[in-house]
Amino acid sequence: MVPLGYYLILAAGLFAVGALGAILRRNALIVLMSLELMLNAANLTLVAFARAHHDMRGHVLAFLVIAVAAAEAAVGLAIVVGVFRTRKTVAVDEINEMKF
Amino acid sequence: MSRILALLVPLLATAPALAGGQPPRATIEFGAPSMWGNPAFWVFLVLAAGSLGLAIFTITRRNAVMAVVGLVGSFFCLAGIYVLLYAHFLAVMQILVYAGAIMVLFVFVIMVLGREESEPWALRSLFTKVVGVCALFLLGYVVLRLVPTPALAAKGGAPPTSFGTVGAFGDVLFKEYLFPFEAVSLLLLLAVIGAIVIARGKRAPRAEDAPAPGAPKESR
Repeated sequence: MVPLGYYLILAAGLFAVGALGAILRRNALIVLMSLELMLNAANLTLVAFARAHHDMRGHVLAFLVIAVAAAEAAVGLAIVVGVFRTRKTVAVDEINEMKF
Repeated sequence: MSRILALLVPLLATAPALAGGQPPRATIEFGAPSMWGNPAFWVFLVLAAGSLGLAIFTITRRNAVMAVVGLVGSFFCLAGIYVLLYAHFLAVMQILVYAGAIMVLFVFVIMVLGREESEPWALRSLFTKVVGVCALFLLGYVVLRLVPTPALAAKGGAPPTSFGTVGAFGDVLFKEYLFPFEAVSLLLLLAVIGAIVIARGKRAPRAEDAPAPGAPKESR
């Protein structure tokens, strides 16, 4: 079997890629995709630890994370569509009316 | 930049202390030479490289549709890794919900508002972003120091045969986690209603409140 540590390193790498995408990209859609990537990294960690400890509860938690991610994607994309309708842009650094 | 580096150097120096001194590299599981003869390890390496490479492909694309394609591939590779971890049901859910439903949602939204951007990287407020990137590298360093510690070595032995099956999954979900399950169903309902309300925008004007002829047209 593959050691647990390799799965954790892979999850950290995926999380870092997702976080970089969320920090550095302008397109709100790509930022949302990066969020999904980070949630997947967290899921991978949960499943890897569930495998290591022979405990199904990690799977259930990962399943709930998938459901919450679906809700987040639906609402996030609706907000992106709403913002695009009024502002004609999806660049996250041009939406700064509430910034001070 | 030099100030950030000066801030980071002591942090990097303390990271081995966080990991409990010099972690012994040669543990029972981690980095064992016998691992290279294990076909599962090669499968893992291919899937890990695929998921990580496609994730990088995703965040570097200018065209959002290509980004979605990369992300779907990344999710498929992750589903393969879940199978390696005996999480068969979760692997199927990953493909159905993530690669299927959520990504189709993304494609629909790209269809509504997709244009390629002229300048994809947000580098306007550079300082905070440099700090964020440095923090990420610090995270990677700490993880790389922490992960090979023997405390994280997995318990030996294969899990019981029912591990990861739908039966065992449902057993835990409906006996121990019934309330979160119901809460998630409520959350999904609220998300659907919220998404409709937000994305629908203004309702189309009905015939009786159409503006009188001659009145200036309201611009949306």
